[in-house]
Amino acid sequence: MAGGGGGGEGEPEFQIAPMIDVLLVLLIFFMSITSAQVLKVDKSVTLPLAPDAIKRDNTRSEAIVNVRWDMKTQKPAYIMDDRVYPEVADLSKAIADTKKGSAAGATRGPNPSFRVVIRGDRDATAMSISRAMNAAAEAGVSDISFSAVNKD
Amino acid sequence: MKPFIAQHRDGDIGFQIAPMIDVVFVIMLFFMVMAGSVKVEKELNSQLPGNAETSGATEFVDEQVITITEAGEISLNDEPLSPPEDRTMDRLKGTLTRLKEAGDQAKSPTLVTVVSEPAAKYSRTIDVLDALAVAGITNVTFTVTEED
Repeated sequence: MAGGGGGGEGEPEFQIAPMIDVLLVLLIFFMSITSAQVLKVDKSVTLPLAPDAIKRDNTRSEAIVNVRWDMKTQKPAYIMDDRVYPEVADLSKAIADTKKGSAAGATRGPNPSFRVVIRGDRDATAMSISRAMNAAAEAGVSDISFSAVNKD
Repeated sequence: MKPFIAQHRDGDIGFQIAPMIDVVFVIMLFFMVMAGSVKVEKELNSQLPGNAETSGATEFVDEQVITITEAGEISLNDEPLSPPEDRTMDRLKGTLTRLKEAGDQAKSPTLVTVVSEPAAKYSRTIDVLDALAVAGITNVTFTVTEED
């Protein structure tokens, strides 16, 4: 395989084909790292900042609970799978159903241990997050993860 | 001005490499710039307290309690370590790191319970969980004090 082109008189000449190869590889690299990190998030939730948190494990079976915070009413709203749950008891039932579905293989990830990911707004109170944790506890899930972002 | 798509004398449309490289360069620059500012979702793990199995020997561990007040002040075992305006929490991180090292040397797991007042900001809890992640403490439980 020729590494660099050479003219008839021994003078190296510019090869366009390898340059395009490298260019496309770089392009695919930057495309993948930006698109892979696009947050599949509820845009109305502003996640708190935690630069030292660990990278998210995407192999786990999980239920994602978004905790929105209404600044006007100073009240939380619990959302799971695009559905708003006004009552924590309903949220707990939904988590339990997701867990059952996961155990049955419906939403089973590569790592079968089930957890609840709480995506709470940074302005929310500790009590509103605690209610989401209680819902998880009532559904029989003790493994809780809190979502955060690495930068503002 | 030369036409964008060159036309040969025999009528065939020739492929122009130069504009393609221009476009690829522009797209690559866009993704390079985007890569620097992308937000990554991370996680902080916690375990809810549960029932311990009693068939084996029960290991007693020293439990450290971190309290967060409504104003945002953070105390470790009733000793104030971080005022509300302190975002870096270096003192808390240092103390927790030393606790973790002492626990590792004593071969005893370090268990930390974060107790927050109900109206305290959730972001302050995440600050504490982040400090625990820096110290490498993984046995973390988060609770909220009962409302009166």
